Amino acid sequence: MIDILFYILSTITLGSAALTLLSKNPIHSALWLVVSFFSLAGHYILLNSQFLGMVHIMVYSGAIMILMLFTIMLMNLNISNEVQKPFVTKLVATVAFCLMGLIILSVVMRGTEIYELQYTTHGKDFQSVQVLGQVLLNDYVLPFEMVAVLLLLAMIGAVLISKKDKTEKTA
Amino acid sequence: MNTLIAIGVLAVLVLIAEIINLRKMVIPMTVIGLLGILGYTVCNISVVEAYYNNMFVSTRFSNAFSSLFIALTIFIVALSNDFYKNEFTKIADYVSLKLFLLMGAICMVSFGNMAMFFLGLEILSITLYILCGADRKNIKSNESAMKYFLLGSFASGIVLFGIALIYGATGSFDIAQISNIAVSTSLPVWYALGATMIIIGMLFKVAAVPFHFWAPDVYQGAPTLTTTIMSTLVKVTAIATLYKISVNLLHQMPESYMNALIFITIITLTVGNIMAIRQDNMKRLLAYSGISHAGFMMMALTALGSASPNLFYYATAYSFAGMAAFTVLMAVCKNNEDELISSFDGLGKRNPLMAIVLSIALLSMGGIPVFAGFFGKFFLFSQAIQNGYITLVIFGVINSFISIYYYLKVIIRMFANYEETNREKLAVPALYSIIGTIAAAIIIVVGLFPSLLLNLFN
Repeated sequence: MIDILFYILSTITLGSAALTLLSKNPIHSALWLVVSFFSLAGHYILLNSQFLGMVHIMVYSGAIMILMLFTIMLMNLNISNEVQKPFVTKLVATVAFCLMGLIILSVVMRGTEIYELQYTTHGKDFQSVQVLGQVLLNDYVLPFEMVAVLLLLAMIGAVLISKKDKTEKTA
Repeated sequence: MNTLIAIGVLAVLVLIAEIINLRKMVIPMTVIGLLGILGYTVCNISVVEAYYNNMFVSTRFSNAFSSLFIALTIFIVALSNDFYKNEFTKIADYVSLKLFLLMGAICMVSFGNMAMFFLGLEILSITLYILCGADRKNIKSNESAMKYFLLGSFASGIVLFGIALIYGATGSFDIAQISNIAVSTSLPVWYALGATMIIIGMLFKVAAVPFHFWAPDVYQGAPTLTTTIMSTLVKVTAIATLYKISVNLLHQMPESYMNALIFITIITLTVGNIMAIRQDNMKRLLAYSGISHAGFMMMALTALGSASPNLFYYATAYSFAGMAAFTVLMAVCKNNEDELISSFDGLGKRNPLMAIVLSIALLSMGGIPVFAGFFGKFFLFSQAIQNGYITLVIFGVINSFISIYYYLKVIIRMFANYEETNREKLAVPALYSIIGTIAAAIIIVVGLFPSLLLNLFN
């Protein structure tokens, strides 16, 4: 069952990633990236990382994608007529990509080696949202509240910078 | 802990006051509230306790520095009234941001857990990025916010990487536990690497020399009140945190670490002072002199553990001198496009009180006896000599002489050149005069009775 799910998810991930690269229209490519992010969140949940999966959806598919779409729209980048890049740039890009691919390939090949991992088992599943929530609100309650302060002040800052000046109207 | 909560509540009250249209109340309310909190913190200075699973640890060190931060914030909030006169609709935002900044500063000196340390650092830095760019129509303010944001976020990233490496080596975020583990067991090399990365991040925040390039531009471009915050409150916070981090984390460091630190201290002193000589802008001059003062305060790092009273004394002396100097700067340059030193010409005739306050502040920074700055340097130097760092002290003394040169240059311009300059009186808002006078009085009182502050640690 999980195997089948994994293959389906992987197909979606790789397919949408490829479409992100191949689509001419930047907005389409951004939307395909969203699909790719969602399926990655699926992978996290398959690995029993519920919290990570949810955060991935919220942060990447939510916040970061909105940011990218806004940037594309505000900067008016959705024109698909690309400028032809010089030959040297293309050559360098290809070589760099091949080297990068080589590194990733070698890392993946070494992944078959078995490492001795000495984790002691706590008996608690620290990946579940429930345990994580308890840790966050018991042991780490003060940092949790300070994060709230951080978010509040960031919001106040955004308001402060975008507020209309009184003097602007009179001038 | 109660201090932190009270400040948070005060900040929210300020925001509520804006909702119900009591903007005029914001500054008096904040000043009175902060005075109350200051009184509470000073009364409880000897309480040593850990709160919330060691997240927040109050010690004499942290309480003393928290009191200093609160006192500085009172001055800054009191100055806001006249500084933000033209944008009074935003006053509640500005004041509440300053209170949040104070919360971040207190977290940074009283953290017991790396998570709290990092959050305090972020609260402090993000507030500052906002305050730097608050003057959004001014291109210099934009430049300063952008530069500070880019470099500051890299520094935060380096600190975070360091924390991660230390966690990898010790398996703990708790600073007492990390300290215990580092003393008792031998740790992998990346522990020292992580500690160094955190130190580098903090050196960036104090603007020590290889990491100081942002400081002059950012100081010059930011609104003057924000510059005041950066050169007094934030600098002192960063130094105190650097000291606390060094005390707790610097075990098992390679021997060359101390040499590197001494080298950084010496070039911080020298470069800061030599660059300051050539400045014609008062804000840049104070920025470079701030860099060299960071060097003086870093001398405390050579005597970890025993230097906290001396560091506290120097930090108090420096920050109140900075406060007085910037108050005068704001009063003199409030209508000018930039803050050239020439605008201080003849200030002795135009407004004698301001001229005297600025003279006291600069003489104290230069280390002329009777004023607090002299004793601050004296204590740090004598401790460094006791520990055998003669070279460091020699460089410190030479740099004190250099700094007196450029401070006196400003003072001479204030009391000479009467003929060439305009002789019209300079009207200064009453609050500026009061605050400048109080800050100058503090410098003298602390200079006459150093035991007032030093006894806080006994």
